[in-house]
Amino acid sequence: MNLEDQGEVKIKQEADIAMARRAIRDIAKKLGFGITETASIVTAASELSRNVFKYAGAGVMQWRTFTSGENKGVELRFEDRGPGIADVNEAVREGYSTGGGLGMGLPGAKRLMDEMEIDSTVGKGTRVTVRKWCRR
Amino acid sequence: MSDESISVIRIRDVLLVTMPADPDDTTVAALQERTLEAMDLHDVRGLVLDLSKVEILDSYFARTVAETAQMVGLMGGETIIAGMSPAVAITATELGVTLGKTRTALTIDRALDLISKPGDGTRPRREP
Ligand SMILES: Nc1ncnc2c1ncn2[C@@H]1O[C@H](COP(=O)(O)OP(=O)(O)OP(=O)(O)O)[C@@H](O)[C@H]1O
Ligand SMILES: [Mg+2]
Repeated sequence: MNLEDQGEVKIKQEADIAMARRAIRDIAKKLGFGITETASIVTAASELSRNVFKYAGAGVMQWRTFTSGENKGVELRFEDRGPGIADVNEAVREGYSTGGGLGMGLPGAKRLMDEMEIDSTVGKGTRVTVRKWCRR
Repeated sequence: MSDESISVIRIRDVLLVTMPADPDDTTVAALQERTLEAMDLHDVRGLVLDLSKVEILDSYFARTVAETAQMVGLMGGETIIAGMSPAVAITATELGVTLGKTRTALTIDRALDLISKPGDGTRPRREP
């Protein structure tokens, strides 16, 4: 897997959620993702960066693009030092929310992307990594 | 990105509320306020919410739209959502968002047709 490009967007305030969306929209378009795939990536980024802001108060979205053979892809990593998630399997379940939400952010982001991994420790923080491959 | 703010205009007895391409949370929150204020100010049947410029509809945005439509309903008005692009419709469905029972139309024109037809459930005109 060859790393092509990378960067990050700090999430410290509500307006940074929109900043993260804008950054990732440009990257996805440049990489050759179509309109719907780009919308999927941007929507997942919006949900995951909102979780960072809502539950941890602050964090970062790191992105990188890569090529593997013929395939291009993008990886987004959302990292925070917030409260962590006690039961990750519960958290990805549709409708599970401790924040009075609809609990669709994590399961929705998983459907919109090709791969998702959650690494979380209570009291330490959370890292959510998602990837999407460009099929063309 | 050009204009990032909401536009509210009145066409006869309908409000046309247009959302920008990628509204931040503050702008999304303003949708509710601007809409209810305008509903209170003008004698209108309801509103057409133009989403044709919108590039993404995340859970927060969708929830605000559904809530706004519900509040407009309590005030006696009707809401019709119009112009959602295929990419946004596909993505929102995959995410799992719904817009409640809000009526939708393909285009602004069709939405205006729907809302201006006097019928049940629409807001009675106020006496001057
Ligand atoms: N970064 C995070 N730090 C701590 N807890 C998190 C984080 N992200 C998600 N969670 C936990 O996982 C739950 C599910 O998240 P998800 O995004 O699916 O739903 P929600 O945020 O509660 O509601 P919605 O996204 O629909 O508004 C959250 O309620 C929260 O308990
Ligand atoms: Mg969420």
